[in-house]
Amino acid sequence: MSQVRPYGGTRIIDLTRELGLYAARLFADLGAEVIRIEPPQGGPDRPVPAATGGSEQATATGVQFAFLNLNKKSIVIDRKTPSGRAVFEDLVASAQIVICEPGPDEPDLVAELIAVPGHRVVTVVSYFGTDGPYSGFTGSDLVVQALGGIAYLSGEPGRTPLALPARQSLFVTSLYTAAATAIALWDSERSGGSHVLDISAQECIAHSLQNAVQVYDLENRILARGGEGIRDATESAFTCKDGYVFLAAPLALSASWSGLLKWMEEEGFDGLARLREPDWADRPTRAQAPMRAEFRALFERFIADKTKAELGAEALRRKIVMAPVSRIADLHTDPQLVFRRYFQKVAMPGLGREVSFPGAPYRLSEPVWRIDRGAPALGEHDEDILGRASSKIAHR
Amino acid sequence: MQPDFLKGIRFADFTWAGAGPFSTKLFSDFGAEILKIEGVSRPDPVRVGGPFKDGVYGINRSGYFASRNTGKRSVAINLKNGQSRETLYDIIRQSDVISNNFGPGAMERLGFGYEDVKAIKPDIIYLAMPMYGEDGPLANLLGVGMTISAVTGLMWQTGYEGEGPIGPGTHFPDHAANPYHAAFAVMAALRYKRATGKGMKIDLSQVESTINCMGLAYVEHAVTGVERERLGNRSPHFAPHNIFRCAGEDEWCAITVLKDSQWAALCEVIGDRELASDPTLATAKGRLAQIERVEAAVAAWTAARDPVSVMQALQARGVPAGLVASCRYLMDEDPQLRHRGYWQTVDHPEIGEARFTSPPFLLDGERVSLKRPPLIGEHTEEVLAEVLGYAPERISALRAEGVLE
Repeated sequence: MSQVRPYGGTRIIDLTRELGLYAARLFADLGAEVIRIEPPQGGPDRPVPAATGGSEQATATGVQFAFLNLNKKSIVIDRKTPSGRAVFEDLVASAQIVICEPGPDEPDLVAELIAVPGHRVVTVVSYFGTDGPYSGFTGSDLVVQALGGIAYLSGEPGRTPLALPARQSLFVTSLYTAAATAIALWDSERSGGSHVLDISAQECIAHSLQNAVQVYDLENRILARGGEGIRDATESAFTCKDGYVFLAAPLALSASWSGLLKWMEEEGFDGLARLREPDWADRPTRAQAPMRAEFRALFERFIADKTKAELGAEALRRKIVMAPVSRIADLHTDPQLVFRRYFQKVAMPGLGREVSFPGAPYRLSEPVWRIDRGAPALGEHDEDILGRASSKIAHR
Repeated sequence: MQPDFLKGIRFADFTWAGAGPFSTKLFSDFGAEILKIEGVSRPDPVRVGGPFKDGVYGINRSGYFASRNTGKRSVAINLKNGQSRETLYDIIRQSDVISNNFGPGAMERLGFGYEDVKAIKPDIIYLAMPMYGEDGPLANLLGVGMTISAVTGLMWQTGYEGEGPIGPGTHFPDHAANPYHAAFAVMAALRYKRATGKGMKIDLSQVESTINCMGLAYVEHAVTGVERERLGNRSPHFAPHNIFRCAGEDEWCAITVLKDSQWAALCEVIGDRELASDPTLATAKGRLAQIERVEAAVAAWTAARDPVSVMQALQARGVPAGLVASCRYLMDEDPQLRHRGYWQTVDHPEIGEARFTSPPFLLDGERVSLKRPPLIGEHTEEVLAEVLGYAPERISALRAEGVLE
C-alpha cells in the first residue's frame, strides 16, 4: 500500500488479555502493524464464549475475539524457552509500542520489557494499577465497575446498583489507553526517549463519572442512582405503544420543554394544564420523586398510542430531545446508520460467512481507516513476522 | 509532572458542554495550547450547570466546567456578532486543530464550515462531533448523552432482569467513548499531517463512536441472531456474579466467580460445607441452574458484614470482589486511589482549592499534574496580543464593537 496512514510503519507488540484489546485494535485500524504474541495454546481471550445463548453455545465462541482483534497479526512464541525469549526480545526491540496486561504468573514482564534496548512506549494495563493495596486483587468487569464508582450511579433508588452492559470497563480502559499511548509515542519519536504508562481500569472508570466527583467535593452531596433530586422528571425512558422512548425536556433545554407543551396543546391533551402549574417551573422541585412519578404517568398516557417511529418523527420536527430506545437488534435498520453505510461486512472463516460489524468510530476525510483483515488465526503470521525479525527459528 | 509532549500544537476550540471539552482537555494536560472560544452572553452550559463552589452560582464557580477545562486559555468572543469572524479567522490561521461539538450546520452558519476554514488554513485538522453525524435523515435530531445511550442499545441493555430499560445513571457516552475516540483521531490526524503536510476532517458521529463500545453485543447478535435479554448484574456464563447487599446503609459488594476454583474458595470463606460438597454446584453450568440458591447463600453471608470485610476476605482467596463505591468513598476512603495519588488539588481564584481526578494513569511513575481551568475571558487580550499580534487600540475597538466579551 502506497497510501500513507497515520500509524504506517509503527510496530506494536500486543500482549493484552482483556482491558487493552480494543486499544491495540484502534492503532491497527489506522495502519499500525499490531502483533499479538501468543503462547502455543493461544491467548486467553480466544475461547471467550458469546454472551448470548447461554453457556453451552460453543458455536459463537470467538465472536468477541473477532471484533477486538480485527486487523491484528498473530504469532506463537513460547516465552518459557530460552530461544522463545530471545525471539521475543528481538521483536520488542523492533517495536515502537508494547501494550501489555501482565498476568499473575508474569511478575517480571514489565521489567523485562523496559530492559530491552532502544526507545519505545511501554503501556501496562491492569485493573487497579501496578502498585498499591489493590494491585494484587483479582479483577473483573463487574468488580471494577463497582470499585470505580459507576455502578453506584446506575439503577433505581433503594435497589441493587447496576453495572453497565457489554464489558464497558474494557472499552473505557482501552480508550484512555489508546489516547495516552498515542501521545506518549508522539513524544518518544520527537525526543528519542522512552515512556512507561501504568494505566488503571479503576481510575479510568472513576475518571468517567460525569460531575459526581465535583458535586461531592464542592457541594458535599453524594450522587446516587436514580438521579433523585438531580435529574429532571422528564429525563428517563418511557413506555410507548411499541417499546420505549427516551425523553429529556428539563427547563435547561427550554426548546425541548416548550416544544413538548406545544405538541400536547395541539393534540388537546388534558394533562397539559397540570404541567403549566407553577411547580413545573421550578427546577429543583421537578427533580423530586413525586414529580417524577407524576410526569411518568402523565407522559406515558400521552404516548400510549404512539409508536417509536412516530415519536422519533415528532422529535425531529418539533426539536424535542427524544429518541427511541433501540434494541441491539434494531441498530442495523436505523435509517441514519443505513444512510451513512456505517456497518461493515467482515468475513469470519470459522463461520463460513460474512458478518456485520460496527464501522469506523470516526469518519476521516483521508482514506486511512480500513479493515484489512479479520482477526488472525493462531500463529497465522509466524513466517511473515519471524522471517523478518529473527533467524532464530527454533522458537517454539 | 507537567508534560510538554504536545507543546507547539494549538487548538481553536469551539467545543462546549461535556464530551467535546473533555476531549480537548487531554491535549492541554499534555502541553498543547487550547484556546477555548466561548461567549459570555451565551456561555458554555456546564459553566451555568454546576455544581458550584458551596452551592453558590457563579460563571467561574462550576466544578463541572473546571473538571473539563484544565489548562485551557479562555478567549471570550461573541460568535453571534458578525464582526467577530475576522478575529476568529485570525485565530484559526494560527491553529493546528479546530474543534466543535455543535449540531450539523452550526459551524457553517457561523462561517466556520470545513470548506471555509480550509480556504484560509489549508492544512487544518477539523474535528466535528455532532451526535448522529453530519449528514443523513436523522442528522438534525437533538440529543444529550443519554439520547446516545438510547439509540445505541446501551440504555436497552442496562436494567433489571425481567423489567424495562433504565440506562446508565450518567450521560455515559460523553465521558469516555466519544471524547477519547475523538482524542485518538486527532492524534492520528496530527501524525498524518506530520508525514504528508495534509490536514483532514474528522466527522465523529457520537452514535457511531458509541456503537463501537457496544461492539461485543452487536457482533454477537449479528452472528447468533439472538439478542441477550437484560440480566441485571448476572452473567450468562458465571455464577455467582452479582452485587450483594451488605450490612449498613446502602452498602453493597460485587462478587464474581469466574472459575470453579474460585467457587471452592468462596464456599470456604463463607463457611458453607453443604454448598462446597454439593457436586451439582461444582461447575458454572450447575450453579447457573440453581442460581437462586447460590445467590441466597452468598447474600445471607454478605448481609451481616460490611462491604470492606466482604471484599477483603474474598480477595484474600483470589475471588474477584469489590465494594460498590460512591464518590465519597472514592475520594475519602479508597486506599488504592489514595496510594496512587489519584486525587489532586488545584487552586482556583474563585473556587479555591478543589480536588480533581488525575488523568487515569501514571506516566513514568508520576502523575500528570493539572493546571487550573480559566476564568471566562481570562486570556482574551493576551491571546489577541501575543498570538495574533493585535495592537492595544485594535483590541479596544473590538471590545467596543462587542466582539470581545
